[in-house]
Amino acid sequence: MSANIDKLHDDHHHTPSGIMRWITTTNHKDIGTLYLWFSLIMFFIGGLMALVIRAELFQPGLQLVVPGFFNQMTTMHALIMIFGAVMPAFVGLANWQIPIMIGAPDMALPRLNNWSFWILPFAFTMMISTLFFESGGPAAGWTLYPPLSLQGGDSMPFVILSIHMLGLSSILGAINVIATILNMRAPGMTLMKMPIFVWTWLITAFLLIAAMPVLAGAITMLLTDRFFGTSFFTASGGGDPVLFQHIFWFFGHPEVYILILPAFGIVSTIIPAFSRKKLFGYDSMVYATASIALLSFIVWAHHMFTVGMPLAGEIFFMLTTMLIAVPTGVKVFNWVATMWRGSMTFETPMLFAIAFIVLFTIGGFSGLMLAMVPADFQYHDTYFVVAHFHYVLVPGAVFAIIAAVYYWLPKWTGKMYNESLGKLHFWLTTIFVNLTFFPMHFVGLAGMPRRIPDYAVQFADFNAIASVGAFGFGLSQLLFVYILFDTLKQKVSAEDKVWDGAEGLEWTLSSPPPYHSFEKAPKVE
Amino acid sequence: MSSLKKTYIALTFITIFMFSFSYMLVPLYDIFCEITGLNGKTNQEKFLVVNENPTERFVTVKFTSTIANSAPFQFEPIDREMIVQVGKINNTFYTLTNNSTTLKHATASPSVVPSEHAEYFKKIECFCFSQQQINGLETIELPLQFIVDNELPLETKTLILSYTMFNTTDQIGSK
Amino acid sequence: MRKLSVLLLSVFPAIASAAWETNMPRGVTPTSEIAYDIHMLIFYITVVIGILVFGAMLYSIIYHRKSVGHKPAKFHESTKVEIIWTVIPFLILVGMAIPATNALIMMEDTRDSEITLKVTGYQWMWQYEYLEDNISFFSKIDTKSNTARRLNSGVDVTKVDNYLRDVDNYVVLPTDTKVRVLLTASDVIHAWWVPELGGKKDAIPGYVNELWVDIQEPGIYRGQCAELCGKDHGFMPIVVKAVPKQEYYKWVSIQKTNKVAENK
Repeated sequence: MSANIDKLHDDHHHTPSGIMRWITTTNHKDIGTLYLWFSLIMFFIGGLMALVIRAELFQPGLQLVVPGFFNQMTTMHALIMIFGAVMPAFVGLANWQIPIMIGAPDMALPRLNNWSFWILPFAFTMMISTLFFESGGPAAGWTLYPPLSLQGGDSMPFVILSIHMLGLSSILGAINVIATILNMRAPGMTLMKMPIFVWTWLITAFLLIAAMPVLAGAITMLLTDRFFGTSFFTASGGGDPVLFQHIFWFFGHPEVYILILPAFGIVSTIIPAFSRKKLFGYDSMVYATASIALLSFIVWAHHMFTVGMPLAGEIFFMLTTMLIAVPTGVKVFNWVATMWRGSMTFETPMLFAIAFIVLFTIGGFSGLMLAMVPADFQYHDTYFVVAHFHYVLVPGAVFAIIAAVYYWLPKWTGKMYNESLGKLHFWLTTIFVNLTFFPMHFVGLAGMPRRIPDYAVQFADFNAIASVGAFGFGLSQLLFVYILFDTLKQKVSAEDKVWDGAEGLEWTLSSPPPYHSFEKAPKVE
Repeated sequence: MSSLKKTYIALTFITIFMFSFSYMLVPLYDIFCEITGLNGKTNQEKFLVVNENPTERFVTVKFTSTIANSAPFQFEPIDREMIVQVGKINNTFYTLTNNSTTLKHATASPSVVPSEHAEYFKKIECFCFSQQQINGLETIELPLQFIVDNELPLETKTLILSYTMFNTTDQIGSK
Repeated sequence: MRKLSVLLLSVFPAIASAAWETNMPRGVTPTSEIAYDIHMLIFYITVVIGILVFGAMLYSIIYHRKSVGHKPAKFHESTKVEIIWTVIPFLILVGMAIPATNALIMMEDTRDSEITLKVTGYQWMWQYEYLEDNISFFSKIDTKSNTARRLNSGVDVTKVDNYLRDVDNYVVLPTDTKVRVLLTASDVIHAWWVPELGGKKDAIPGYVNELWVDIQEPGIYRGQCAELCGKDHGFMPIVVKAVPKQEYYKWVSIQKTNKVAENK
């Protein structure tokens, strides 16, 4: 951004230029930008791994990689996409948007903010470097189930240490978000007047500080089991491998909502803007988000119905899981009601948001199917599950992130992106995402387990289609990168209020906003 | 103290609490297993005082064994199946042979199915979770004394006891 | 056009053989049938909900757009509507939970089994023990598949019979008999799964899980390990051969004779 503005606004402390500006920055916009770029890079690294997987699965028989390396790819793909791409992208959006949406000058704890970002590149360098170890990277799946994960090579302590660092970074980020939202809102902005994106992030941040420490505990126990002779998870010492799964998914299920609640916030912001109508049922949206978050702590065992739980346990977790469909349904209905009798236009952010609703709902349907334990005994650990969680994470979380970037990019940069290219990007992405993940439902139901490098000939056709789709999806994202750079080069400046239907404090600022957003707090009616 | 600082402290406290909570889940899980019989985990301790109170009911008890991590052992029940009187003490044993030529340490972990009825299978004398020392090429007998509780639901006619034998020589050596 | 179809056929090798299976098999056991019924029930329910929701959305997208001159309405809340679409989904869910719970109770009831088959997972093969008859053997991927599946083996895997779905020793089970299957593992967690015999359960080292099958039709049923268990997780198939009872007893006596012969 322009150095002139920095000088004008930043007279009370020195701002270094060049690379040092980014390393030492405590400014929420700079840190937000860093997070977003970092997440984009990770998205492509994780994506490359996905393409290795899809290339190998293009045809039956092993053509490219050995099974051990294939398992490293699936493990790393998941770790990188979850902790490196989706979570940092949401934190980046939070950094950019929360202060300018609640009328604050910056985040509450700027130095902590800097620290929580700069942990990430080191953590991921360490994690990815394990791929070059002689014994290879982690290959037990991102869920790290013992005893298999205890068999791993030298990579294990390094991966665990890097997950600890990622957890620390997320917790610090979450503390910062909560502190900012609770303490730095503009006068007059009561909690129930907050923008919905801020609400979803507040709830997400609470989930983060409740869930990440549990993951830290679980992987610490793994580490001590492996190196310090404890036996939390080994049957020979009176431990139980299933205990790990319980602790892991006690973290894991809230984690799933950490990955989707901010996406709900984004879609709930974009749909009203382009429908030119207020969000339907703001209050119930807030309550629905909160109840989804609370329910997320009592459904974890639905990830592990096949471990052999007592009947009562299976029934309990089936019912609580089904219950989640109620608040989630409320959200979907409210989005449709917001669009209903609006005055809609279909710019790129709106297109991605609509695709989000449709495709996320499909993912929700398969989720509901998976909740039915008798059928889940068949679905569990098959490609049906892979299809399900990719539907909620790719056209779910990732589409929401892309929609948010298109929606706020003109505000951040002061330049308008190329709308025709944006639409092209949307259509390519949406077609290919379905081509990739929809056939996975079929092979899963027909009996193909997940996490296998090679498969029986009867699964060949749908796998070939999915692989074609995956390469198309990957290539389409290069267009996204082109659009981002193209936007920065545009000559015409964007207006302050980029979208005529948009509401919120961020649109009262100039485009791009000043280095320190609200030096004087705005008044909210 | 500013409200910001208060928030900060409260959140740090939650974080630390949740980390400790993950460790609290370990004993909580054991209690949970104890109540529900999850994984047949109940009855790891021996029952010291048991009153015999034989009934006219008979149930089948099957015995089976598994050797973990393909250890150089032979480990088998001497009786594969027993028809036992409910409420009466029974004796049997497993044999463990060390097929290697060096001293080994071994530990067995028990599991009962149906797991929800594991609590009615009471072991009085049991070799579970105790370290066994066994010389190379030696065979030892591991006695088991048990009683099937009178409270066993009537519809259950079969109980299966499984032991998995782990080679713990390396773990002992490292201590 | 001809060129295109030749190209397509080379890319999608099985188009000609029409292996476009898209649904869960109905299977041959009471548990697989009930899993299938529940699966189809919930599938149709979600289809109906999907048509309603997406239909409303599509209508709105077509008619409530700015380009056709639609002016935005002012409403943005309605407690009545909100209550309706909280309560109705809840009732639908209750309606689904009842058959699912009943099915589950049936599936978890292993009592009154006639035969006990113990399955032990190893990296990377299965061991089968028939507890009553004291028969025990290992079962691993057959040699043909095992050669063909090596990286750059040069074998056209589409020409291998039952590629990755065949083993050296089949599990033989009688039809019309309730069989209790005990599951455990020697090293890491595996999961034993034959889709046509119903669901899967994890085989966990140190612990024993159970499920039951009651095969209604003779035949050969194929499945494989369903829980990541290391590098050859994809290469530990399961083949169950279901035969009429008499044939089964014949098989059992042959196994026993062989064993006696071996011991001599």
